[in-house]
Order: sequence, then C-alpha cells, then structure tokens
Amino acid sequence: MYSSLVRLQNTFGFFTTVAFAVALLISASDFLSVREPTVNVLKTTQLQVVKGRADYYSSKKEEYAIIKFTLDADLSSLFTWNTKQVFAYVTVEWPSAQSNNATNQAVIWDTIITAPSSDHLGNFSPSKLKRLRKSANGKGIDPSRGKLQIKNQRLKYPLTHPTGKLAQTEDMQLKLHYNVQPWVGFLSWNQNQDWGRWKALKNGLSKKFTLPAIKAKEQAKKKTTGGARA
Amino acid sequence: MLSALGNPRQAAAQLMNFGLILSTAFMMWKGLSVISDSPSPIVVVLSGSMEPAFQRGDLLLLWNRNLFTETSVGEVVVYNVKDKDIPIVHRVISKFGTGFVLLRRRPTAKLLTKGDNNDSDDTKLYAPGQNYLVREDIIGSVVGYMPFVGYVTIMLSEHPWMKTVMLGIMGLVVVLQRE
Repeated sequence: MYSSLVRLQNTFGFFTTVAFAVALLISASDFLSVREPTVNVLKTTQLQVVKGRADYYSSKKEEYAIIKFTLDADLSSLFTWNTKQVFAYVTVEWPSAQSNNATNQAVIWDTIITAPSSDHLGNFSPSKLKRLRKSANGKGIDPSRGKLQIKNQRLKYPLTHPTGKLAQTEDMQLKLHYNVQPWVGFLSWNQNQDWGRWKALKNGLSKKFTLPAIKAKEQAKKKTTGGARA
Repeated sequence: MLSALGNPRQAAAQLMNFGLILSTAFMMWKGLSVISDSPSPIVVVLSGSMEPAFQRGDLLLLWNRNLFTETSVGEVVVYNVKDKDIPIVHRVISKFGTGFVLLRRRPTAKLLTKGDNNDSDDTKLYAPGQNYLVREDIIGSVVGYMPFVGYVTIMLSEHPWMKTVMLGIMGLVVVLQRE
C-alpha cells in the first residue's frame, strides 16, 4: 500500500491532474479577453492575367493572375498571454461559374506573427530574429506586432484555377482572415458574428472586382520572370 | 514478493485490474473517435513544417465533422496520402468547387495544402499525378492544442529499447502490486 512505487504513481497522477487543470484554466482565460480586430483598408491596386507557367514546377501553361493589394489592419487585440502566434492571411474568393453552390477560395498572401516569447521557435533568419527581439524590448507580449500596414503587396502564391482559366472572372473579393494559435487550448479563427467578448472582423472584405482579359504575349513573358517566384 | 503468484485469487484480481485499465483507455480512445468522427482523434506532430505553431511532439485534437461549415481554407488539417502511412498536418490554402455533401454525394472540392514553414505547397507530397486533395483524404481538422505531451511517443518509436524497458516496468508493477 505504501510502497515507493505506489507513491511515485500517486505523485505522477496528481501532477498530470494539476497540469491538465491549469492548462484548461489557461485556455478558458482566452474567452475573457476582448478581441476587436479592425480592418481600415483592404483593396486591390493591380490586376492582371497572364498565360504561362505559374510556378517553377508547373508543367502546363495556364492562366494565372497577378494581384497587388494594400492592407491596413489592426489585429493587436488578439495578442494575449496565451497567444503563441497569429497567422494572418488574405484570400481571394469568387463564385463558381457552373453551379451556384460552389465557391473558389485561395490564399494569396499570408504572414506568421509570432508573440515575442515564441520568436525563437520560428524559422527566421538571424537578422530578422534580432530585429524582432529588439522590437519586443524584453516584453513577453507585444500587441503592436498585430498592426499590419502593407502597400502594393504582390501575391505570395500563384493564383491559378484547376480549369486553367481565370481571365475576366467576375465577383472576386479579397478577404482578410486570421488564425490565433494558443500556447495551450483551442485554435480560433476570425468570426462573422460577435461571440461574447470576441467581436466579428468588420470590413474584412474588399470591393468586388473583375479580372481583366489576358495580356499580350511579349508582356506576359516579361512578367513571368518577375512574378513566378514570389 | 511472489506471494501474489501463490494466491490465485489475488493474481486473478490483478490481471482483471490490468485488463480494466487497458480496456478503459481503449474505450476512451474509440469513444473520442466516434464523437469526432475521426479514425485518429489525437495525433502527435512529427515534423517541423508547421513551425512555429506546432513543434515535434505536440499533441493535436482533431475534429472531423462538418456540422455547420465545410472544411475550408485556413483550417489546419491532417490528411493521408495514398501508399504513405504517415499522416501529414498542414494548412489548406486553396479550395475549388463545392465541399458540401448532399444526399450521400461525396464532396468534390479540390483542396490544396501547405505547411506554414514550407516555401511551396504540398503538390510534391501527394501521390504521383495527384494535384489536389479531396475531403475524403482528410482525417480531421485541428481544433485543440497541447504542447510537449506527445513527445513520449516520439521517444518510444525512435528508441525501441525504451519500449522494452517500459513494458518490463509495467509488467513488474502488475506482478508486485498488492492492493
């Protein structure tokens, strides 16, 4: 009954119970913090469709879009003591031409915003890590990193469609999303409705736009060298 | 020490106890599997392709039901590729077509995934000739996260002698324990 083995077992059992209880409390504390992310500007600044190889690895020639956009958003309220990183991403969405139920959605740009305490886990270059460390100034939580101000950003991933057609696509819209990654607990995304203290992301959609027709061939060739590897 | 072996009643009780522990663990696993509709509701991260969000050894809780929404862009999903036994944890970066199931028709949306820490998308990880995933390839979306806990399983699978040692200790405990 009172062998050292039983004691060890009890200690370990108690330790895991306490650890899980603390983890549960920490993850529950997320719901107490106020989240009110805002978007000031989200608009396209350049639209173009070219035909060629969208990616270094792609084997077939297809239509792909070149989009540049400007974003001004404030996600700083997402950074709390349980925030490990915020993954912010911009998608382009458009309804499918064939059926009314189907939609198309693709990420064109994303960024990983680490909390200062998780900087060392990221795959950053030494210079960027140094810059991040300096900006945090020893703080564990740095909400100012949640302020995104991006001008004329080129897309990070080539935008193509399985059909190979993209020119003159209508009703396209950019949308800002985010995913909050906790240190422990539940992952959360941007919401369309308010949920307790978590407010919906307003103005997260750009105006609807239509992609132009394909550019002439010579120009397209010039563009591929610049736009292929973003 | 060997008194347990001399007393068949006690030995049987201990055996039952051990069986009970094992079956409880199994039932909890399968119960979680039924609730989340995922063959593997808890997975351990094995690679660093989602860093800094997930490190090796972190535990992920999966959910595989589409109650209100379709599996969509931005979700972190665990998927299987044909002829590969190790499931991959990556983020969905594009979705083309409909993913909604109507009257037993399978969702046909084409999904493309990418690891946050990787430079390019997963096309090269898929089976030859496969350019997209479909909903069926996915065994769950990540909803919960717990750091470090899964590292035990990585240690056990990378150092097989640990498995032997652990089984040995567990066996000894069962034999020696008196209650």
